[in-house]
Amino acid sequence: MAALLCRQNWAARVRVSKGKKLVTYEAAHPPHYIAHRKGWLSQHTSNLDSEEGAAERLVEDVFIRRFLHGTFVGLLAQEPVLKRRANVLIICLVLFQNIAPAKIYFLAAYTETLFSHFYKCPVKLEFQTVSSMLVYKYLCAPGPHDWMKKPLPSSASWNFPRL
Amino acid sequence: MAVTVTSFCAAGSYAWAMLPRLRGAWTLALLQSAANSTAVPQNRSESGGTHWRRREVPRHNRLLGIPRTKKMPVDQDWSNVYPVAASFKPSVVPLPIRMGYPMKKRAPPSKEGNLELIKIPNFLHLTPGAVKKHCAALKNFCTVWPTALDSDEKCEQHFPVEIDTVDYVSAGPSIRNPKARVVTLRVKLSKLNLDDHAKKKLIKLVGERYSKDTDILTITTDRCPLRRQNYDYGIYLLTVLYHESWKTEKWESEKTDADMEEYIWENTCSQKNVLDTLLRIKAAEKISDVPREELLASEIVENYKNSVVLLKNEGETEDNMSKYKESVKKLLNLQGFQ
Repeated sequence: MAALLCRQNWAARVRVSKGKKLVTYEAAHPPHYIAHRKGWLSQHTSNLDSEEGAAERLVEDVFIRRFLHGTFVGLLAQEPVLKRRANVLIICLVLFQNIAPAKIYFLAAYTETLFSHFYKCPVKLEFQTVSSMLVYKYLCAPGPHDWMKKPLPSSASWNFPRL
Repeated sequence: MAVTVTSFCAAGSYAWAMLPRLRGAWTLALLQSAANSTAVPQNRSESGGTHWRRREVPRHNRLLGIPRTKKMPVDQDWSNVYPVAASFKPSVVPLPIRMGYPMKKRAPPSKEGNLELIKIPNFLHLTPGAVKKHCAALKNFCTVWPTALDSDEKCEQHFPVEIDTVDYVSAGPSIRNPKARVVTLRVKLSKLNLDDHAKKKLIKLVGERYSKDTDILTITTDRCPLRRQNYDYGIYLLTVLYHESWKTEKWESEKTDADMEEYIWENTCSQKNVLDTLLRIKAAEKISDVPREELLASEIVENYKNSVVLLKNEGETEDNMSKYKESVKKLLNLQGFQ
């Protein structure tokens, strides 16, 4: 059912128009698989009932992810996982082995120091390295006869503009 | 195209080795085999281009050391591997765990770089041995429970007032939580020195805060911003209630039947009616005037009084109704009837 409705949804879905794309497990699963086949990338207590601070944690998360994408350029094999345990912020990274280990250590310490100054809390960065991309799936462009394979439901005949 | 490999000693520097292209799984490559390998990186990327893709050819690929899982003795102390809470590290956990939804006819993804295993909280730092160590270390900071308080009753006897407070921990830089200021006081009224009037007055004053089944008065205070202030206010309320319930105000004499908590038989119309009936029966039988006190004290009237009080206080049950029936039969001398 969700697969049929996915034709009009564009959120967090990798689509291929030409050629092949290699995707990780995270990218291969659209958001309706969260809590079914995927876990959460960010964990904190603020989203529980009658707990405070959800908006602050969200803004922090957004900044942290941008910062990590910029600092570890081309090195992030997977999305960073952020965990908060009481006051401590734990960032779990999976990195490629493209640069020298000494440089990775420098970048990690730099991130930890800057974040601990930004957010006034202890920050721990735990990382693992992986030698090549962790491919889960190869996504191919739809072929010329793919439209015949799955019958569209009647609602799919509306053409929603791609956002 | 053969590639020559220079290898250095493992300590400190790294060796350039064009390892065979790996897909996802890390495998141990010995120095000799790496030196002899002639793995030719293909000059074509997966999506059809003709240049290198970073994901396919790692640039600084030193020969990584042997993972810790291969170096672990069987009798090691696991709390040295995971002394604190940490994310899942595949090179350190010697289990062949796979996690994730598998592709068709494939196994689930292996543990190397598996984000799903990293996302979930693990309790590898809390094995039974590790917990024992924690307890042993904490024991030095604990004091022994006082031996005199060896039963619940003794605790209640020495500490009749129970205070409940809640502390909240959440993930974030702030330790403040407005819910933490709430204080609940619980005390059994039997432990307080109250006579009949004082107890009834206290129960009327507190209303819903008193539970008849458990005889516990519960006072919850949250009107002050700090927990200490709420605690002080709760104790103040208890003191005021106690002293006020012992006082008798002038207007308390205006207490009507509707204000009564339970049914008291003396001076009710029921008593008058019974006396009237009995007097008339005695007059019909031509017995001389019997004093009212003797009539009141007689067993028949006692019986009737008890059954009426039961009915009024506890409501109508099979038991109560049958008692009432028996007492009325005795009163009106109708023993013969069913």
